[in-house]
Amino acid sequence: MISPVKIWRNQKRIRQLLGLKGKIVSFTKIFVPPAGFEAQAPYIVALVKLANGQNFTAQLVDWEDKHLQIGQKVKTVLRKTRDPGEEGIIPYGVKFRRI
Amino acid sequence: MHKVGIAAYGVYVPSNRITTAEIASVWGKNAADITRSLGITEKSVAGRDEDAVTLAYEAAVNALLRTKILPAQIDACLVGSESHPYAVNPTSTIVAEFLGLEKKYLAADLEFACKAATAGIIALSGLLLSGKINYGLVIGSDTAQAKPHDVLEYTAAAGAAAYILSRKETDFIAEILDFASFSSDTPDFWRRDAVRFPSHGGRFTGEPAYFYHVESSARNLLQKTKTEPADFAYCVFHMPNGKFPRQAAKRLGFTEKQLAPSLIIDQIGNPYSASSLLGLAAVLDIAKADEKIFMVSYGSGAGSDAFILETTKNLKIWQKSAPSFADLMKNKKYISYTDYLKSSKKI
Amino acid sequence: MKVNIAGAATTKFGELWRRSPRDLIKEAASNALEQAKIKPSRVEAVFVGNMLSSALGNQDHLGAFFAEELGMPVAAMKIEGACASGGLAIHAGVMAIQSGLYETVLVLGVEKMTDHSPEEVAQMLMGAGTDAEREAGATFPGLYAIMARCHMQKYGTTEEEMAQVAVKNHYHASLNSHAQFVFPVTLEKVMKSPKVADPLKLLDCSPITDGAAAVILTKIKNNEVNIIASAVATDTLGLSEREDLTGLKAVRVASQKAYQMAGISPKEIDVAEVHDCFTIAEIMAMEDLGFFEKGKAARAITSGKTKLGGSGPIINTSGGLKACGHPVGATGVKQIVEIYNQLKGIAGRKQVEGAKIGLTHNVGGSGATAVVHILKKG
Repeated sequence: MISPVKIWRNQKRIRQLLGLKGKIVSFTKIFVPPAGFEAQAPYIVALVKLANGQNFTAQLVDWEDKHLQIGQKVKTVLRKTRDPGEEGIIPYGVKFRRI
Repeated sequence: MHKVGIAAYGVYVPSNRITTAEIASVWGKNAADITRSLGITEKSVAGRDEDAVTLAYEAAVNALLRTKILPAQIDACLVGSESHPYAVNPTSTIVAEFLGLEKKYLAADLEFACKAATAGIIALSGLLLSGKINYGLVIGSDTAQAKPHDVLEYTAAAGAAAYILSRKETDFIAEILDFASFSSDTPDFWRRDAVRFPSHGGRFTGEPAYFYHVESSARNLLQKTKTEPADFAYCVFHMPNGKFPRQAAKRLGFTEKQLAPSLIIDQIGNPYSASSLLGLAAVLDIAKADEKIFMVSYGSGAGSDAFILETTKNLKIWQKSAPSFADLMKNKKYISYTDYLKSSKKI
Repeated sequence: MKVNIAGAATTKFGELWRRSPRDLIKEAASNALEQAKIKPSRVEAVFVGNMLSSALGNQDHLGAFFAEELGMPVAAMKIEGACASGGLAIHAGVMAIQSGLYETVLVLGVEKMTDHSPEEVAQMLMGAGTDAEREAGATFPGLYAIMARCHMQKYGTTEEEMAQVAVKNHYHASLNSHAQFVFPVTLEKVMKSPKVADPLKLLDCSPITDGAAAVILTKIKNNEVNIIASAVATDTLGLSEREDLTGLKAVRVASQKAYQMAGISPKEIDVAEVHDCFTIAEIMAMEDLGFFEKGKAARAITSGKTKLGGSGPIINTSGGLKACGHPVGATGVKQIVEIYNQLKGIAGRKQVEGAKIGLTHNVGGSGATAVVHILKKG
């Protein structure tokens, strides 16, 4: 179970990353996932340069093959991230969606 | 005289769709028969990483695009859903936190099948009319689940609609003129605690449930306000399938033309607590100033909230500031039944 | 600086179901001590390089754990820097000798990975990355794939060129009885292997391996092989904070420090063990270590310059991480063993003739830690 305190402490950081636009710098399609992500595979992990100058690494959602390009415009959206198991607090975080 | 109105609205619908034909083929049914009886051809499906919280958040972000009101000014946040992620732990505070509401707000989660959020509108209207709060946020959000092979599998969909309410007339894009409710203990559709999928009474969900409550609350409100269907430019009814809202409109004396813009069921199925509120949003997307709207929600169990709203000249200023329902319909991706099962974690 | 290597040994690397971590360390340590002709009682400190004993094995306190196993109740500690744990343990041993506090130290590197499912191991290895990377479901192949894509876009590096690294290292490993995969592979086999994290395929990636290595460092003179430089540098933990995704700055900083310490230039390196956790990593290492110009290493590797018999430097005669295997904490120590063997002339069929100066390059995470050692004979 993910610590509820850690999830709580992270909320502010997530809020600061929401609603930002950016462009894909690089990405990969993960075919062999780590434990906890099996049911999602294959999925895209993208490294994006955000409008505020910083880079951020997160999954890309609602994509089609034509969006998998360096330079693709994206924005950050709120989604569930890690699997909390049966009992744990659900962690929400930031992912990218093409614009 | 105190007033209450809608200052802003926003919607969100996930981009995945599954067709009636795809589901029917899995169960060996004739898609045409299903479409004919339910009036549905496809429904929206939430992604595996989406839930009532994330949908509610996206809809609220879109609502905030249609106003100058800031999250920090909002005094209350009510979220109505049948698919709150927790049995105990409010969706409303999670959404409020990500939106940036400041901590001096009232938060509560509501449940009343598909009408949880309209009850929220009435509740916040009370707080606004009495001057206790300045701004309130109500969201209807659902990622509805259905048992495999059950008829609800074709209709139970995902979506969210958010409304920011105000008591300042200069904020209104539509004034809430009056409302009336009608409730009873009618077990037409239910889900026991800790049970995954809902159950329902089949044909019992029709006349004694949907129609009785929708028509009764509608007639009560028309009588109370001394209005008649012809006074309205548009009407919106809760849409559990393609047939019921059309029948309800006809029986009450509304025309197909008045009903048409609200029929989101034809595009995305039934997103439960967001159904009538998405229908209202679709109407607000195209309505002009000074037009009256008649809206009736329905929640199984059972009850109906009926509303009379009137658009203002401000609507035109904000209509295009956020994606319309039609805009969201442009981004859709069809998925297979297996992907549908994966998304809804049935496999 | 001059720290002498008195003895060095590794176990076989591979899926060693029957061998426990204690077993593996006992074998490596006793072989190293025997080669050094040093009695266990002379060891004054023990440094253990290891990453996952806690996450996978529930065992912390590794210094005391192995000190007891070896019957050496002396100063003992675990050194951790993700996949650079072994190299950092060597660095700790060098610091111990250079400081004058100790005269004879034992550096161990060990990892036991095959007791657990690959998914679990992949998840635990991500302990070397950032929280955001873990939350995104990234894996190490994924992080290096992100860098590979940038390298491919900027320099035109191709998937075939990356695959050539695996082909070369498997050829070298076929000459190494201690390697995990003692067989060559063809370019076609690498190119057709299943995708892991696009564009990296299964045979672009180092395997999950068990193994241990041990090195004895002393102050005593008149030994033949010396460590003449030991340098460490760090960069940002995660990829998103890096300045450039086509190379590892920590490697450039550490190697420049090492060349300066040793008073040599990259051209003088005859043989090197580099951290090819993924094929792209070896290409970037060739450039970051100054062996080839930026963007040109892929072609150099493909033309056979770094393969046994090539114009040099000869890279990864052990088979590298790809073909010799990558028991995470052991790799940095095993690299020292291989270069020691090369410089001492006892590398057998994979001997680089006349090798006088060697280099080891050990990297932690996606490049957050880099450890470079230079070894010289004489």
